[in-house]
Amino acid sequence: MNWVGAVVQGVLVGGWYALAACGLSLTFGIMRLVNIAHGDLAVCGAYLTLVLSSALGLPVGYTLPLVLPIAFAIGVALHLLLFGRALRGGPLAPVLVTFGLSVMIENLLVAGLSADPRSLDAGRLALAGVRVTAFGSVITLSWLRIAGFLTALAVLGGLHLLLARTSFGRLVRATSDDLDTARLVGVRVRPVFATVAGIAVATAALAGVFLGMTATFDPYAGGLSLIFAFEAVVIGGLGSLWGTLLGGVTIGLVQQLAAQWDVQYTVLAVHLLFFAVLAVRPQGFFPASEPEAA
Amino acid sequence: MVSTGPLLELDRVTKRFGQVTVADELSLTVRPGDAVGVVGPNGAGKTSLFGIVSGDLRPDSGQVRLGGRNVTSFDAAVRCRLGVGRTHQVPRPFEDMTVFENVLVAAQQGGGARGREGFRTTARVLAGTGLSDLADRPAGRLGLPHRKRLELARALATRPRLLLLDEVAGGLTDPEVAELVGMIQAARADGLAVVWIEHVVRALTSTVDRLICLAGGRVVADGLPADVLASPEVKEVFLGTGSVGGVGGVGGVPEGGGGDGARA
Repeated sequence: MNWVGAVVQGVLVGGWYALAACGLSLTFGIMRLVNIAHGDLAVCGAYLTLVLSSALGLPVGYTLPLVLPIAFAIGVALHLLLFGRALRGGPLAPVLVTFGLSVMIENLLVAGLSADPRSLDAGRLALAGVRVTAFGSVITLSWLRIAGFLTALAVLGGLHLLLARTSFGRLVRATSDDLDTARLVGVRVRPVFATVAGIAVATAALAGVFLGMTATFDPYAGGLSLIFAFEAVVIGGLGSLWGTLLGGVTIGLVQQLAAQWDVQYTVLAVHLLFFAVLAVRPQGFFPASEPEAA
Repeated sequence: MVSTGPLLELDRVTKRFGQVTVADELSLTVRPGDAVGVVGPNGAGKTSLFGIVSGDLRPDSGQVRLGGRNVTSFDAAVRCRLGVGRTHQVPRPFEDMTVFENVLVAAQQGGGARGREGFRTTARVLAGTGLSDLADRPAGRLGLPHRKRLELARALATRPRLLLLDEVAGGLTDPEVAELVGMIQAARADGLAVVWIEHVVRALTSTVDRLICLAGGRVVADGLPADVLASPEVKEVFLGTGSVGGVGGVGGVPEGGGGDGARA
């Protein structure tokens, strides 16, 4: 490794953080729901892919057309059964409810699928790489990382277009701006929020699949990925998708650069960065809208 | 085209917030095409009445019927789709969206206008409320007169049968009020029923043919505007609040008292 390589790797890894975080950013920005179980839902996505690909004998990539709709449906169901009620129960209820969900998911996964670390077989993509010469140094980039980064860009870009350009996006923006007034002009809030929750869980599952292909996962892997995702969202600015991408890339960069110095400080470096951002610019780099002062 | 039965019926509706009663066995009927003004002292339950009709407030007891149908348990979105449009006293536009988008959401959701029809409805409503030139402006950057108009435009875009106006004239200059009253009267040409809370009584009496006075969550007078304003009950309600601590007296004291306080 070298410094140039670390920067490039950092950006690519940051794409994964952004993918893991965008669902969190979405549910928080739109529904004011802090989903503590978001990371666990990502890990569920990885397990679902594992189970489906071994049951059907399909490569990981081919299970996605099944995994993503299932994840979407799970998100919709979670909203209708849990999140919607929790949101009506005051500001603390969603945190407690999703914390409970997180604990439940982890234990169900341990009970059903054991605590052994697993990984997803990415096939030929796993080992394939490309050698690039930049600034006089040779960098080896994994195609898998590049694919993950491009997927993150596509997902964030797609979400941005969905929100900015479509009728559904207008509904979402109106609802997130003023829930009561949205109802007053005829917006049925429940289906809108349920769809947003579905999208959030689907993006989490996708992040889980990439996690499974690039590293190992176990039932407790959700906790750490949640913390990183949460930090990416806060650094970027709550509820802003492009901010989340920037936050993810920042975390990836800090992590990779710290690894150049000493691998054992990577996690600490990210948390210190998070701490510094909170101290200096608590609203993040790109807050979705003005802090509610009026 | 319109049913001959009552459009809105409140049947002995009661709503309390702790000690405060905002609706006390309140009954009220509005027919299609009616134009009803609502007056009353502060805290009489005027805005709460709108909340109960629009679905923002769930009454403790009693029934709300719309076109003969019991809608008491329906939320605001469903009632909007059934034809209840409402404006807020303090305008609440979707700040980050353009004026056009604000109205389009209302046209597509509350008005049920699909596809191009939604855009046509929006364009028509914006033209009718004089907002066409501001269509692409973010609603958060509008001044008060335009915010009031947008509030009206958004309610009209849901194609209501019953329009609840909460002090649309408040804070506007006389010419601005006259324009707004013109827009409301134009909208009424289609048989729209209007219930209108207003402190600017001049704006009301030019439009409404019936006036209701609320006090303490009850209807104290209901009839022709001139009769209601002249009735002893209404005079007592307004004089009664006027004499609470003596508005005139209170107005006199703080000036002197404030001055003394500042010097002390």
